[in-house]
Order: sequence, then structure tokens, then C-alpha cells
Amino acid sequence: MAVISDDDKIICRCEEVSLGTIKDIVHHFHCSSREVKLRTRAGMGYCGGRICRTIIEKVVQDINNEKVSNESQLSYRPPIRPVTFGQLGGSGNDDES
Amino acid sequence: MSDLLIIGAGPAGLSAAIAAAEKGLSVTVIDEFPKAGGRLLGQLHQEPNGEWWNGIQKGEQLSQRARQLGVTIQCEVSVYDISQSKNGWDVYTTKGEYKAEKLLLATGATESPIPVKGWTLPGVMTIGAAQIMGNVHRVKPGNSCIIIGANVLSMAIANELKLCGVNVKEIIIPKADITSNEAGNPEQVLSSLMRLTHLAPTPILRQLGKIGKLVHPKIAIKLFPRKGIRMFDIPLRLKNAALEIVGDRFATGVRTANIKANGEIDHTSEKVVDADFVCIAGGLTPLSELASIIGCSFKYIPELGGHVPVHNEQMQTNIPGLYVAGNITGIESAKVAMAQGRVAGLAIAADIMNDWEQMETSINKAIENVNITRDKALIQFHPGISDARKKFYQKSEVDLTQISKIKKREA
Repeated sequence: MAVISDDDKIICRCEEVSLGTIKDIVHHFHCSSREVKLRTRAGMGYCGGRICRTIIEKVVQDINNEKVSNESQLSYRPPIRPVTFGQLGGSGNDDES
Repeated sequence: MSDLLIIGAGPAGLSAAIAAAEKGLSVTVIDEFPKAGGRLLGQLHQEPNGEWWNGIQKGEQLSQRARQLGVTIQCEVSVYDISQSKNGWDVYTTKGEYKAEKLLLATGATESPIPVKGWTLPGVMTIGAAQIMGNVHRVKPGNSCIIIGANVLSMAIANELKLCGVNVKEIIIPKADITSNEAGNPEQVLSSLMRLTHLAPTPILRQLGKIGKLVHPKIAIKLFPRKGIRMFDIPLRLKNAALEIVGDRFATGVRTANIKANGEIDHTSEKVVDADFVCIAGGLTPLSELASIIGCSFKYIPELGGHVPVHNEQMQTNIPGLYVAGNITGIESAKVAMAQGRVAGLAIAADIMNDWEQMETSINKAIENVNITRDKALIQFHPGISDARKKFYQKSEVDLTQISKIKKREA
């Protein structure tokens, strides 16, 4: 029976970045998770990396043979939840959604 | 402007609100979810003494008590940014700006994902999502399901799904790869299940705990039956791995295969098991994004579920006026979270009244209660919690209590 390859499985759902893409980038550029993010947009979608952040860090650490550090490379930046322009502007009651 | 703003209306946040309000503070609690109670809302299990722990009821009791004390609880409010002002904190939310002198983050935990191939199909959800659908919204996610990921959380929720009338076909583990790590290694999964205390909520877990004292996991996994052992009448199959979730437009099943004790796949045994929906259970990790944007220091502690904001036993972070309590400080049971919330509430009251000396006895008593609750906890999410906490607090550089005391003396 054929062995199923996992490289096409999606890691970042918002930006549709696959495991294979992330692996290729790390192998090719010997880079950090932050660089993976900037090169592939993984973790930069609508959800702000809430789902895939830890997976990206883990894959990069594994390939680079690094230990988990105390401070994350993939920093959180406000707004940490999706907000409308109305909410950002302070009106707080726009019903545009 | 409140004395205290609490983000998160779960067991920790509500308990902190009660403790602080009892000391006369004006307290506001906000939460993203439509209902107060946090993780309590999903919990329904039988304790060893036969009594049922009904989380929804517990949550209602806590929010009722808080409201009686004049606490304002507002739901469906999401915080997207926080900044420090001269007098305290400005908190920006989807329902406008909140101001408070002290801030407590009781944001709880979030689920760790395991990206199984096919996990983006509709009908695939985290085990926590299935729990919320069943226990909170009273919606049965489907008639049959398969759970990928064998851990304390998935086993507890498997039973809840069964109580909802779902046919939980089996609990299996994810295929071992770079994204699943220990969760995909049968020996390591069994070993972590075997370290569960004798107090564990099901007879099977208690038995595994006993066996764990006598037999090494390496041998135990060899003896572990391929067809699994039954727990709440649900097969727990640690020698079966999920290779991919299948389905055209939505999930219809899981392609599984037998695996050896080390995780190696026997491809000749591949088959598809049908199910209406598929749950992925990767465990919990502290939800600390707000602590991060405020600029807290973090420490990576695997026993506590990942990265936790640096804090001391009084629940103070390294940022003055910012406190944490509950699962944001490490994954533990709701009872521990409630005990921690009380410590935070009392410490914040002492901070605001600038009277650590008078409050010292009650704060220390509350801290002692956290330790007792932890030792008696029904579900130990990780066997090393107590030791990891002790080491962490000994090394903790946060000693604002002392700073406050010195300030007071100078004044």
C-alpha cells in the first residue's frame, strides 16, 4: 500500500501554508520561526496565529535541533482579536458584520 | 473606573472577584463567552465518592455570589489591547474601553492543536469544541465520532459525549511525526496515563495507575491489547494511529492503521473507520497572549503546559499592578483555579489598601489552601506539577510584596 505523505497537510489554515512549505523554507534558509512567518505568511492570517503558532515553533525547533526558549519568537501584537474599524475607532456599536 | 478589572469569568476570575469584593473593592469581570463560568461550563463527571461534579451549577453559584457582592459581570466582551496608564490600566475591548487600577488576567487555557492530515475538513473539531457543543449549547455534534489523542482531557470528554448520546467509536492516537511528538508514541502515551494518581476518575485509569507502580511502560505497552481496553465502554486503542481524516466535502471517517510500541506503522493493516465527526485532542496550554502584549516575562515549564507568565505565590507578575490566576499560570483542575483566584483577590485587596501586614495571615492561609487543593486534585494533568511549582516559586524574582512593604515603611 502507498505510504501517505504528510507534507501537503495544512499547518496555517488562514493562509493555507502546508507542512512541506514550512519544512522546505527552514531547510533552505536555516532560519527561525519568525523568518518562516515572514517568508510564508504562516501565522499571519485572520486568526492571528492563534491555532498554528505553537506548531510552527515546534517544527522549526525540531528541524534546527533547538530547545524551547522562555520567550517566544513569534510575538503577539495587538489587536489580538479580530476587530472592526468601528470598534477600533471607539464607536463600539457598528453593525457592519 | 473600577479598583479591579478581571479578564475571564471562569473559576479563577469569579473566585478572585468574590474575595476582592468581600474586602470592599469595586470589581468588574469581563469574558469573551456569552455565559460566565469558563471551563466549568463544560465539566460533568463523577467523583470517587460517587457525587457528580456539575460545572454549570458551580459556575452559576460563583457568579451569583459575585453579583450579590456587587461585582459587575459582562459577557461577550473581547479584549484586543491593553496599555498602562498613570492610574492603572486602559483595556480596549470590542465593547469599548475599560479602566481599572489593578488588573487580573484569568484567561485560562487554550487547546494545543495536532494537525492531522485532513483536519481542515468540516466536521473536524477540537475535543473542547465538542464538549462545549454538547454540554453548553445542548447540540449533539453527530451520532458517531472518533477521538484522536489519548490524554486525561480526551478521556473525560469522551464520557461526556457518551452521556450526550454520541457513539464514541474509539480513542486512538495521532500518527507519529514532527507535529505530534509524544502524543503519537504509544509507549509515552501509556506511560503518561499510568502516572495518573489512584484518585483518577475512572476504574481503568486507577488500574493503569496501579500497574504503573509495578510494570515499566516499555513492557506494559507490549502487553497492551491491540483491540484496546474499554473505558466507559469506549475502546482506548493506543496501538492504532490516525493516518488521515477522510471525506470529500466533510469528514466521513478516519484512515487508521496498527502501530508498534515505538509508533512504527503497519501499512498492511490500513482501514477506514466511519464517523459523523472527528475530535482532535492535543491537550491544554496556558492562554497568555494578553500577558505577552503587556510585556510580562515568561518561563517555559512543560509540567505546567507550556509558557507561563512569571509570577509569585501571591499571583503577582513582574509588572506592578498586574496579577494572574487559574490556568494561565499552568494547567490544573478548576478547584485549584478557584483556590488561586482567592489568593489573587486577597493580594489585590492588600495591594490597593496598601496593607500587606494585616492581610498577610489570610493570604498565607489562602496560599496553603492552593497547595492542599493541588495535592488532593482528582485529575493531575501532569505528574510533576507540585515540584515544578515549588521550583518555579523559589526561583521567582517577583517580590513585589516586599517592595510594597518597604514603600509603606518609607511613607
